[in-house]
Amino acid sequence: MPRTTTIECPGCPPLRALTFDALGLIKVIEARGNQGGGVPKVVERWGEPDSSKCVLAASMDDCKLDPLLAVARKSSTIEILNPLNGDLHVAISHDGDSGVQAEDDTIVGLHLFRKHRSRALLTCTAKGNASMRSIELRKLTGLSAKIDSLKNWKVCGAGNILCTKVDESENYALFGGKGVEVNVWDLDNHTKLWTAKSPAKNSLGIFTPTWFTSATFMSKDDHRKFVAGTNSHQVRLYDISAQRRPVLSFDFRETPIKAVAEDLDGYTIYIGNGSGDLASVDIRTGKLLGCFLGKCSGSIRSIARHPELPVIASCGLDRYLRFWDIKTRQLLSAVFLKQHVTSVVLDSSFIDEGEVVSNAPDPQLLEAHDVNENEVEDKAETLPVKRKKSKEKGKSEKEGCEDHGKSKKLKSKKKSRTGISGHSSDDAS
Amino acid sequence: MGGKRKKTENEGTERDGIVSVNNESNKKIKKEILPSMIKNKEKRYEVHAKLKQQKKLEKRKKLKARDASEKHALELGQEPPPRMVPRTIENTRELDETVCKPDDEELFAGNDADEFSSILKREQTPKILITTCRFNSSRGPAFIQDLLRVIPNAHYYKRGTYDLKKIVEYANKEEFTSIIVVHTNRREPDALLIIGLPEGPTAHFKLSRLVLRKDIKNHGNPTSHQPELVLTNFTTRLGHRIGRMVQSLFPQDPDFRGRRVVTFHNQRDFIFFRHHRYIFETKESKSIDPKVKKANDGKGENIAQEKVIARLQECGPRFTLKLISLQHGTFDTKGGEFEWVHKPEMDTSRRRFFL
Repeated sequence: MPRTTTIECPGCPPLRALTFDALGLIKVIEARGNQGGGVPKVVERWGEPDSSKCVLAASMDDCKLDPLLAVARKSSTIEILNPLNGDLHVAISHDGDSGVQAEDDTIVGLHLFRKHRSRALLTCTAKGNASMRSIELRKLTGLSAKIDSLKNWKVCGAGNILCTKVDESENYALFGGKGVEVNVWDLDNHTKLWTAKSPAKNSLGIFTPTWFTSATFMSKDDHRKFVAGTNSHQVRLYDISAQRRPVLSFDFRETPIKAVAEDLDGYTIYIGNGSGDLASVDIRTGKLLGCFLGKCSGSIRSIARHPELPVIASCGLDRYLRFWDIKTRQLLSAVFLKQHVTSVVLDSSFIDEGEVVSNAPDPQLLEAHDVNENEVEDKAETLPVKRKKSKEKGKSEKEGCEDHGKSKKLKSKKKSRTGISGHSSDDAS
Repeated sequence: MGGKRKKTENEGTERDGIVSVNNESNKKIKKEILPSMIKNKEKRYEVHAKLKQQKKLEKRKKLKARDASEKHALELGQEPPPRMVPRTIENTRELDETVCKPDDEELFAGNDADEFSSILKREQTPKILITTCRFNSSRGPAFIQDLLRVIPNAHYYKRGTYDLKKIVEYANKEEFTSIIVVHTNRREPDALLIIGLPEGPTAHFKLSRLVLRKDIKNHGNPTSHQPELVLTNFTTRLGHRIGRMVQSLFPQDPDFRGRRVVTFHNQRDFIFFRHHRYIFETKESKSIDPKVKKANDGKGENIAQEKVIARLQECGPRFTLKLISLQHGTFDTKGGEFEWVHKPEMDTSRRRFFL
């Protein structure tokens, strides 16, 4: 008899994710489930496999009207694409405008601005050359674009930048890396606001060299608090308004922290490390909430939180993209992507086409019967917000199974009771 | 107490139920008395022996019947009934989506881009540095002696007190393509570390069941020809990568005159290493097997008289490897990123294999 314990993957709610891998391929993964239990699949693949085009960083502006996707490649070009169909808008050669570029001065950070700084792009290279440029997309001519107002500045003197992050209001950016303490910059006038101070030597007088590998801002409306992960498997919480040393720091396992992502609630963070452990932590207390278990065996390179659904996506060197439920910390599903995946982006504007057919953003892969089914469903139920729906579904399912369990239990109880009663009657007799 | 009472109650219900059914079930129970239910030891042995004998006879009968039907089918010139395939752990292995498919263009593109492609495309000849852990004695050096005979263009360097990272640096400068570190524990080699250079992955293997050449009976002595390489069963994406890594240790132009084969055979995630010399001999067999003759009629005679036999002679060490981890980049214990690590939560099934 085969002794197997298969972990059932319940499937994901409808969502769309873009992954970027070491061969420069961009893969679109979509889960379109009717009952909130869709199986995500690779729908499209953009680009040809070429190791020199390895994607280093990616950023997406997923507004409804005119979404954009920026991808930085190893060959120091930045490509701006349409995330809906993969059409190339423009390719910017990065080394062209900053003169002679060293071999190892690759792009590490990339951010596409969304709000008031309409259509701008922040890039940062490993040597600390940050630059900001604005992009104008001319609608009339279609795919042509104009790049101007280049603004360059130097973030650090020595060391290597490894992480770059822009806060939600898009006024501040933080940089950190190997030999570079975390520093926060004002993006309006390109001035350094704040630099961290390395923690004191420990009781043995040993100083651990600075090596930040990942960082993220904590909440949407506050640029003063952020979390950084280090190579010495330490997670630190910094507060600009309080002090220059970390407010809180704790160790996580044995291998370097490779990815940090924040939750919407502003205090939960997700950390992934070099040996494939993924965990959620309440940063107010520094307590581990729990680990995400699911045979994940390779270093986690990127974690993305879905803006509405309670789902996170993680990917890394084990060539899998995995979706996790936040609440239960259960693996929803995993997609094998064949290459080392460097980063993942979730598309929040994705709507299952069955629901809104009229202004569906991507009309490809629209199957008629599928749509009809969905429509029927929609008619049957009054349209709630997608997230609630899926939740309810999940709950109801769970309740169902719980009920089942309960009923079983009850049965057994009944049995035992009858047994007891029987024997009591026996006693009586 | 409660349990006992329940039993009695159940019996009571049975008695109350339909009588005929009860009788039948009773008969069945009488037939199926298990030896383990008998409390008298001698009686139990007796019954058990009887049961075993019966089973044996049945099995023999079945086999005989099968053979007879096969023979009968052959005589009639029909296809013999298909033989049953035994269920093994390998052929009931858990379904794995990462198994490489031969028509996967992405896989080939990935292969072209990986760290070993320059060696495997013969743009570069492999040059191997072999070293040990800090303390090395007894079977360790002997094993390295054997390894040096197996792997062409391998050079042994004393470890001294150097850090492994320093050794990696040095080897990079000297244009080595791989480093092999033999780790010994209590004078017994127990781990193997293979580091690809300059940026290749680092694989950490557990090494067990090592038999050195001198301990193999009737062992052969390998020649200095370039060996042929046989890699079997490296099916998944991870296995493919490990296979390529092993392949990159050996030169890609085997000398077939040497008739020397190095085998890495993967079975249930254990990689078995063997080293053989082979020869094809044409033997004139004196007495032709009557069965073969019968079966093949006229054709059998010609074939039987010039029979080509492959003969093997084992030489070189014999050992078993098991992958513990595969690290991205060169050796780095503190800041390393793993491509694959073995974790206890993966061991929930006997039928799940990773290579």
